[in-house]
Amino acid sequence: MSGKTPLIRLQAVSKSFGPVHANRDISLDIEEGRILALLGENGAGKSTLMSILAGQLQPDAGTIFHDGAPIELTSTDKAITAGIGMVYQHFKLVEAMTVAENIQLGHGGGMWLNWAEINDEVRELAAFYGMKVDPGARIADLSMGEKQQVEILKLLHRRSRVLIFDEPTAVLTPSEADNLFATMKLMVGQGKAIVFISHKLEEVMAIADNIVILRRGEVVDRVAAAAVASTVELAERMVGREVLLEVDRQAVEPRQIVLKVEKVAGDGLQAIDMEVRQGEILGIVGVAGNGQKPLVEMVCGLHRPPAGSIRLLGMEWRKFFADQKWDLALSYIPEDRQGLATCRNLDLVDNFLLTTRGGFVRGPWLQRRQAEEKAKRLIDEFDIRPPNPQALAWQLSGGNLQKMVLAREFYRKPRLIVAEQPTQGLDIAATEDVWRLLLEAREQAGILLVTGDLAEALALSDRIAVMFEGRIVATFAIDDREHVARIPQMMAGLEITA
Amino acid sequence: MFRVRITRRQEPRGWSSWFVLGAAVALSLVLSGVLLSLRDISPLTGLAVLFKGAYGSRFAIEDCLIKAIPIFLCSLGVAVAFRLQIWNIGAEGQFALGAVGATWVALTFPELPGPILLPAMILMAALAGGLWGMVPALLRQRLQTNEIIVTLMMNYIAILFLDYLVYGVWKDPTSYGFPMTSEFPPQAVVGKIGSTSVNWGLGHCLVLGTVVWVFIRFTRIGFELRAAGDSVRAARYAGIPYDRLVVLVMVISGALAGWAGFLEASATINRLQPSIMVGYGYTAIVVAWLARLNPLTIAIASFLLAGLRVGVENLQLDLQVPAAFGGILEGLILLTVLAGGLFTSYRLSVRRS
Repeated sequence: MSGKTPLIRLQAVSKSFGPVHANRDISLDIEEGRILALLGENGAGKSTLMSILAGQLQPDAGTIFHDGAPIELTSTDKAITAGIGMVYQHFKLVEAMTVAENIQLGHGGGMWLNWAEINDEVRELAAFYGMKVDPGARIADLSMGEKQQVEILKLLHRRSRVLIFDEPTAVLTPSEADNLFATMKLMVGQGKAIVFISHKLEEVMAIADNIVILRRGEVVDRVAAAAVASTVELAERMVGREVLLEVDRQAVEPRQIVLKVEKVAGDGLQAIDMEVRQGEILGIVGVAGNGQKPLVEMVCGLHRPPAGSIRLLGMEWRKFFADQKWDLALSYIPEDRQGLATCRNLDLVDNFLLTTRGGFVRGPWLQRRQAEEKAKRLIDEFDIRPPNPQALAWQLSGGNLQKMVLAREFYRKPRLIVAEQPTQGLDIAATEDVWRLLLEAREQAGILLVTGDLAEALALSDRIAVMFEGRIVATFAIDDREHVARIPQMMAGLEITA
Repeated sequence: MFRVRITRRQEPRGWSSWFVLGAAVALSLVLSGVLLSLRDISPLTGLAVLFKGAYGSRFAIEDCLIKAIPIFLCSLGVAVAFRLQIWNIGAEGQFALGAVGATWVALTFPELPGPILLPAMILMAALAGGLWGMVPALLRQRLQTNEIIVTLMMNYIAILFLDYLVYGVWKDPTSYGFPMTSEFPPQAVVGKIGSTSVNWGLGHCLVLGTVVWVFIRFTRIGFELRAAGDSVRAARYAGIPYDRLVVLVMVISGALAGWAGFLEASATINRLQPSIMVGYGYTAIVVAWLARLNPLTIAIASFLLAGLRVGVENLQLDLQVPAAFGGILEGLILLTVLAGGLFTSYRLSVRRS
């Protein structure tokens, strides 16, 4: 680290949510005129760290220094005053108002605003940083790239010195992304500090000065971008090599095919072929955003595959989802527990019934009392807290809610399980429980495991498929050491010719 | 300087939420008292006249019950749709169509005996109201239209259609030019309970209210409604046929409003005429919100808001307060109760800064 006092320094910052360490002992420097990339999978603690810097969350421990002096960012106002600004993935703009009005919003000022002057200021600022934004244009008429420029102008106009970008290229076209990078370079040239959060390896390599890699809430690596030889090396550093937890995994004889995907394409996917047999776990690994989401949504019936065929339990996709049985079929354990797998304002019994209701029906009637008995037993068995079936879903912590979802889904005795980031946000003990459950479930089910945590994929999978840019670049058995060793290369998109 | 922090409550309020409700209603009464005093009427006298007019005599209470019947049925239907977060504000139009459907049966088959004629009228009323409610549901699915706007617009179509019938083809030739159909045959009229002036529609309310309550609470579809009303995404995830539920709730909603239209035409005015439309369908929305979509509390709120209508008539006679005062009071109650929701679901803490 350079001798200069960094603009912002985090020292041993920690933040826990219940038993989960979202951030643990994080120390890093945000320096003037430098771009710092924060790299890590979903759930690695990036967004918690950002929220701390933005004054939305208070750390449990650790200190934040601003220009060398300790500062407490107890509110978003304080963070703004300290010159910290965020460009969120989902823009915070008023669509019906103009560019200049959005930039002026929240600025205070007197009763009367001199719009001519504000417009001039905005125009000058935009021109200086090479942006082509008309201050009088309505936000609703702008492209995503232009809206993002407005967000940046908002920060520049209030003289933010630290600009934090949360996956800024996710919504941009490639040429808009190039423009953004050019603007970023200009801004650091003016002495701004930039934090760039992404999991796109090439972008990080192209733009960052320093790279900090987070995994499971901790800084696992910090390196100067110049010292990284290739995206492959970066991928290796990101996924790590050591397996954190060992589980006792005995092979189960694979039996009939429960999922067969043939030539599925569209929505960013290209000619996906794969099959899952009862008795095995197929782990899909890859950097997030390489097609895992659309693939899972098609397999689980949320979206019709635009091309190709998906067969579940021997049935055609359309037929399978037209009259899906509640048990002995498909269980989907989604990444989004709060929004997709549960109803936040319903109690645990109702949430238990959400996918198991088919088992508690007599004629038109729902046998809620029986369901409550079952739910109580599962709450006990899975140690869900609070152990109260009348608790509403939103009152549970993420880990407990996940246990509730798992309890429910295993209760259905599925024959195909799609588990998406099943241990994200769970503490170690809960993670081990989930792993044990998934391994046990192989007796009766085939499991498609989609995870960003390579350690998890290696610990559980019988076979691994690596996804990159909507394709499955390779599928191999877990004891194929040669391939396993090259997973990082494949995740970074390098063709393997071995 | 004081700063108020608003945070979401972790535990919902228990009994004290009733206190908030009471305070909200009290505040709306105070505000309407201010309105009365602007007309140089003592607020206390005014409110006393209002309450005495509404609940001060057997005749008044019977009148309240008569008016509560259509409000209750419309509100029951609206509440079913609201559960799914489908904002049906078309009870007024569905009510009109129900009255039209029932009238068509009564005028076309006047010779049928009561036990056949009345069920046929009910069926036709529910069918007409239900189909009228189904249209916005289908438009919403096929063309992504907003059901709030469509149901509202369709109210005007329905009311004008009713007008067209009573001013034209259905006009009673002996009515001296008044826009009304001829009176229903006696067997097409729902009778009164004992010696009271309240009709047996009250019994219909009791049965239908129970049926809806049982349906929402104990059936599989009722559960699916509650789940999908909380989260459409979770419903799709769980394989709940959301689109079909939207159609279903709109049909149920419309059928109940149509049933109310039948009762009003048959029991209260014994014929079809434009004065059947007095805004019960809109009051029903207020009632459903006040009652938090629960059938039992809908019954209570229907009775109270019916009382408001009856009481205002008294206020008009005794103190020459315009009839619009009733609408104002109704709106004030809704606003204050909605605003009171802030205190039930959020915690406010005041800090010195």
